Amino acid sequence: MKLFTRYNRILIIISLFGLLLIGFLFYRMLVYYLDQQIDHDLVEEVMEVKEYSAKGNFYQPHEFEDLVVQYKKIEKANPSSSYGDTLFYNPLKHRKETARYLKTELELVGQPYCVLVIASKFERQEQIRNICLIILIPVMLLFALVLLVNRILLKKIWTPFEQLLKNITAFNINHERPYEPVEMPVAEFRQLNKVLVELSGKVKSDYNEIKLFTENASHEMMTPLAVINSKLDNMLQSNVLGKEDGETLVELYKATSRLTKLNQSLLLLVKIDNNLLQDEEQINLKSLIEEKQVYFQELISERNITVESTLADVSISASRSLLEILINNLFSNVIRHNYDGGKIEISLETDKIVFANTGHNKALDPEKIFDRFYKDNASEGTGLGLAILKQICNRQRYQLDYSYHQDLHTFTITFNHQ
Amino acid sequence: MKILIIEDELGLQRSIAQYLTCEGNLCSMASNYAEALDRLNSYDYDCILLDLTLPDGEGLQLLNYLKRMNRPEGVIIISARNSLDQKIEGLSLGADDYLIKPFHLSELNARILAVVRRKSANGDRHIEFNEIRIDLDAKEVLVSGNSVYMTKKEFDLLLYFVANKGKVISKSAAVEHIWGDDADMADSFDFIYTHIKNIRKKLTDAGSRDYFHSVYGIGYKFTEV
Repeated sequence: MKLFTRYNRILIIISLFGLLLIGFLFYRMLVYYLDQQIDHDLVEEVMEVKEYSAKGNFYQPHEFEDLVVQYKKIEKANPSSSYGDTLFYNPLKHRKETARYLKTELELVGQPYCVLVIASKFERQEQIRNICLIILIPVMLLFALVLLVNRILLKKIWTPFEQLLKNITAFNINHERPYEPVEMPVAEFRQLNKVLVELSGKVKSDYNEIKLFTENASHEMMTPLAVINSKLDNMLQSNVLGKEDGETLVELYKATSRLTKLNQSLLLLVKIDNNLLQDEEQINLKSLIEEKQVYFQELISERNITVESTLADVSISASRSLLEILINNLFSNVIRHNYDGGKIEISLETDKIVFANTGHNKALDPEKIFDRFYKDNASEGTGLGLAILKQICNRQRYQLDYSYHQDLHTFTITFNHQ
Repeated sequence: MKILIIEDELGLQRSIAQYLTCEGNLCSMASNYAEALDRLNSYDYDCILLDLTLPDGEGLQLLNYLKRMNRPEGVIIISARNSLDQKIEGLSLGADDYLIKPFHLSELNARILAVVRRKSANGDRHIEFNEIRIDLDAKEVLVSGNSVYMTKKEFDLLLYFVANKGKVISKSAAVEHIWGDDADMADSFDFIYTHIKNIRKKLTDAGSRDYFHSVYGIGYKFTEV
């Protein structure tokens, strides 16, 4: 729920509840006050009755007074009086109306009587209703106005915050663009903005430091690797090596080669990160893929892998070195993780490349396969091939997807993905 | 050939010298900028191997110096730095080739040969080995004067072996020579065997003797007898 909605909801609920409560109390007060007034009138009527009785008459009010006085003879008059609400039939208006009565016992003209004075409340109730309406309508209007102003004001106050959110979302550690600060009129937001500027700067510099470290560490390892490699090359020239020594040398070469490859992959990742490969040009993907297929032909035919390719004549504008690495990695991947006699399907359409291969594994976790150093134990690869693939796709703003169906591991790269 | 190795890593320096000296080359060594400058002032060379990061100066400065002096030596940069920029900078400053560490010595040797041959004034752009003649311009192989058809990869591989004649070349070195290090092929070198087999067959069919020898199952040697 948005802060705005939440705030409004609470505000409306509390205001409505408050209004109802206050309205109810107000109504009760009015009713009480008017009842008091009526009771006072009733007392006056009783006084009138007494006055008339002193003259030997029974008082009867005028018809238009909405007042009824009833006399009933009783045994003995207890000087007491009681008030209450009742319903009475208004003979003038021919309807039942709510009313207030005063019941008292009096000695009238020498006889004990129970006198019941009933006054209609109808007029008064009308008054109450009108008073309530007169007060309620402006209050409701005011309430609506407050809500409206709130809405506009909050929106205005939160606009820079939303911009700030947008800028944080847009902030990418890999991109050159730093976090863009937003002009903030509100002090709290200004502080948040300030913290974000500092934080993004820190994150960026830390990240650059890590990159630099990776780069330097990888570079530094290259020289010792060169020493090992050259010593192996010289050792190989010796005439006294036996078969076992040969096997040892093969293992050493393999290990050195893997270490080298690992280093080169790390360097490549840093290089793509640093956007060092920006030789944008028009590239014919069809011929690039065909060229690479020839390049990998030995590996493919050695393992009796069949390749089915349907290639449309597609050209795109991109970095040549990046695309070459991309296609190289796709090929390496579908060959490496295939089994002997397996199958590779390649399809190139105007908006996407699809590389699919059979393999020993069942479906892989699409969340993890593009992570650095994610690989199955049997693989002799560096575990960086797919990470590089992902990095290139990020850099070129392509979408990279993995799926598994009909026993095929399928990698789809969609260009111009918005 | 006289070769100057400018490299501060002594282990590598010695290995290179050891590998190249056996070829009948003469190797001088320099471990830092001052030493290298001193050598360059005193002698002429056929080829210079130049490491870019020296303890007391930048290798690129030496390259500048050589260019200023109009020196005819071929220069091959050997560096762990493989950033494209540096590569382009090195080549534009007059280096003839650029080799990224780590490399196989057989690769280095082949590159040296190519650079020296390209630089040689007489323009004789071919290599001969007994009855085999490799024409570098026409990319053609002749056995006793008869042309032998080879694919590009086979031609490259043969040239590589001839350039390193008498040396054992590991399969991994051969693979890296043909496929570069773009391709992640660390786990399968065996397909190089098919290529060697094809080259052997083509050469012997054309009347050449078989100069390829398998060594310890780890590599091959191109040598007489």
